Amino acid sequence: MMPNEALRFPNGTTIAIAAILVTMPWILPSLTLACEIVVVSTGALSCTLLLGSVGLLSFGQGLYFGLGAYVCATLIRDFGMTALPATITAVVAGGLLAAIAGLLIVRRQGVYFVMLTLAFAQMGFFLALAFPKLTGGENGFGNVPRTTVAFGQLPLSHPIVLYALLALLCFVAFALVQRIIASPFGTVLNSIRQNESRSEALGYDVRRFKLAAVTIAGGLAALAGAMNTLMLSFVPLSAVDVETSERLLIAALIGGVGSPLGALVGASVLSAMSDFLSPIWPRWSTIVAVLLIVTVLFLRDGLLGLGRLLGGAVRSER
Amino acid sequence: MRTRREILAAAAVGVAAPALLRQAWAQQDAIEVGSLVSLSGTFANIGEQVDIGSKVAFEYYKTAAGKPLRYVQLDDQGDPGRAVRLTQDAMRDRGIRFFMNCTNSAIALAVAKEAASGGGVYINQAGADEMTGSLCNKNTFRWPVATYSAVNTTVRPFMKQFPDAKKWYTITGQYVFGDSLLKNLKDVLGEVGGQHIGNSYHSLSDREYSGFITAAIAAQPDVLCICNFGSQTIDVLRQAVSFGMKRNTKILVVWSTGLDQFQSLGPDICEGVYFGANYWHGVDAPGNRLLTGVIKAKLKVTPSYLLTAGWACTQATVEALNKAGTTDVPAVIKAFEGLSYEGPTGLEKVRAEDHQVLKDYYLLLGKPKARMRDKDDYVDVVSAEKAFLSPDKTGCKL
Repeated sequence: MMPNEALRFPNGTTIAIAAILVTMPWILPSLTLACEIVVVSTGALSCTLLLGSVGLLSFGQGLYFGLGAYVCATLIRDFGMTALPATITAVVAGGLLAAIAGLLIVRRQGVYFVMLTLAFAQMGFFLALAFPKLTGGENGFGNVPRTTVAFGQLPLSHPIVLYALLALLCFVAFALVQRIIASPFGTVLNSIRQNESRSEALGYDVRRFKLAAVTIAGGLAALAGAMNTLMLSFVPLSAVDVETSERLLIAALIGGVGSPLGALVGASVLSAMSDFLSPIWPRWSTIVAVLLIVTVLFLRDGLLGLGRLLGGAVRSER
Repeated sequence: MRTRREILAAAAVGVAAPALLRQAWAQQDAIEVGSLVSLSGTFANIGEQVDIGSKVAFEYYKTAAGKPLRYVQLDDQGDPGRAVRLTQDAMRDRGIRFFMNCTNSAIALAVAKEAASGGGVYINQAGADEMTGSLCNKNTFRWPVATYSAVNTTVRPFMKQFPDAKKWYTITGQYVFGDSLLKNLKDVLGEVGGQHIGNSYHSLSDREYSGFITAAIAAQPDVLCICNFGSQTIDVLRQAVSFGMKRNTKILVVWSTGLDQFQSLGPDICEGVYFGANYWHGVDAPGNRLLTGVIKAKLKVTPSYLLTAGWACTQATVEALNKAGTTDVPAVIKAFEGLSYEGPTGLEKVRAEDHQVLKDYYLLLGKPKARMRDKDDYVDVVSAEKAFLSPDKTGCKL
């Protein structure tokens, strides 16, 4: 159930997200880890929007992530664009592809919807592999220069400028999702999630609303892909593989899909675990699997829900 | 009972500890070398071996340019994106300028660019031709041979031995590396009078190849040539042999990793099959005698290609640092260029024009189990040759 506070915008969550994004570079031991968290949380946000608001489980967000990454990289390297226009174009491309794929995907529900998203993701991966002249194939898309933010100003070669841009884009994405959830459109999406048949009986064109949500989520995933390109100056083939889709979904689920903040929490936990645990124990991903099982079985609202639960318990003791 | 001041002082020490440690490291004046290895993720089996090989080399060499060496393990988890991040962190936060190793070409190409833009030096084991071709850079070096060399040093001696084996069928991985092998093979066949009668492409995720193999059998080739890498090589060869292709067709695997693949396949499958390889432990060369001696003493195993690849990159870095006598990056790059040393494959030389290590590539022939002198003696060395594209044809502009 969507908490009532979520129906206001801006709210406490907006401030919390802004505060986390501003303080992260000072809290974390590395700025690149902060950049990665920002990118993954933006991608996970697309899963949060679909699953938390409309109840659509997508295993295919990696497709749009990859497209965004390739479009942004191509525009910067081959057309000399700067970061902002390249990113905006990538978002539009991701949204368009999601709208086209969505026309087919939203015709089915439940497990068939999930399988279709997976099929599209696989298709994207093999297309990327089949056109190495466009994507670089398994070698990846390289030689992307570190451009400037826009109009030749603010070079991304400066780590703080890069983080500031990524954090700003991430914040805009979170604010947009919060605004959507708080809007009448978001209320309809929520009603579809709770009872699709009843929403249809009330006269809402459920397919059209789902298509809109899929399109927005595709644009968000493409935004994350473009941000990934700005961070790495490179697009690995893994950007478009199913593992990326899984990673975004796992981050969303671990954090909790009840609030956009969950995507940021999930991405932070996942990326930090990967950074801190991998030097200690090579099989660290087992811990992620256990965490996912615990989350799915006992923490329906993810770690964010657990935090709220603990916070509530402390308050009631006082 | 602790006072508030004591607790605050302890907290301050805790906060400052990483900075103090970093300072302590710097004071020791050691040369830190970042090693990009995948210890978790899809390529963990490769990364672990490369990592061990490098660590053994570090323990053996201990110093370079008069300073102690320190091995800094960077687990990229098989993800090029993470490898780039780790490289950026290592350069920015720890001031590391020397890097080595990779578990796939995508990681190497991505790290090479990062190392170049951050003013570092990087030597790796990438298979992609672009590493010393169109995507080469001043700061990066590559130890294994390119696909041109692999094809020319296997197909030409093979054709000399079997001039009547004219009809060739290929099973190729449909990715950049597989396509490069195939293109080079077609070129060589054209030059030596062979005929390429057909090809089956498989994808990066294929595990079942019976359809491709029946297509190859139907074409009735003299030679089945396998142009892919890794576990897919093992699977294609195993299935081709189980379909009986060895009986009336010769099989050539252009790119293999040698011993570890032979151990997976077993002597019965290897017998009579030709393999191309970057390294074989049975080669009599001073550098190889040193390597096998150290590896056997430390690990009680025969060195495989992956262990050797980790060793070889460390050795080349140490040799270049010793030649330069300093850790100054431009001086080390200059020392690398033209560097000549006794490596695991004999005398190895770093070509200045494209930063390729010029070394032997082997054509090996699987021997019968009865002829194996020990449990790792799977093959005979048919030929050991150096064949490299001339620098003006690699596409590398340094």
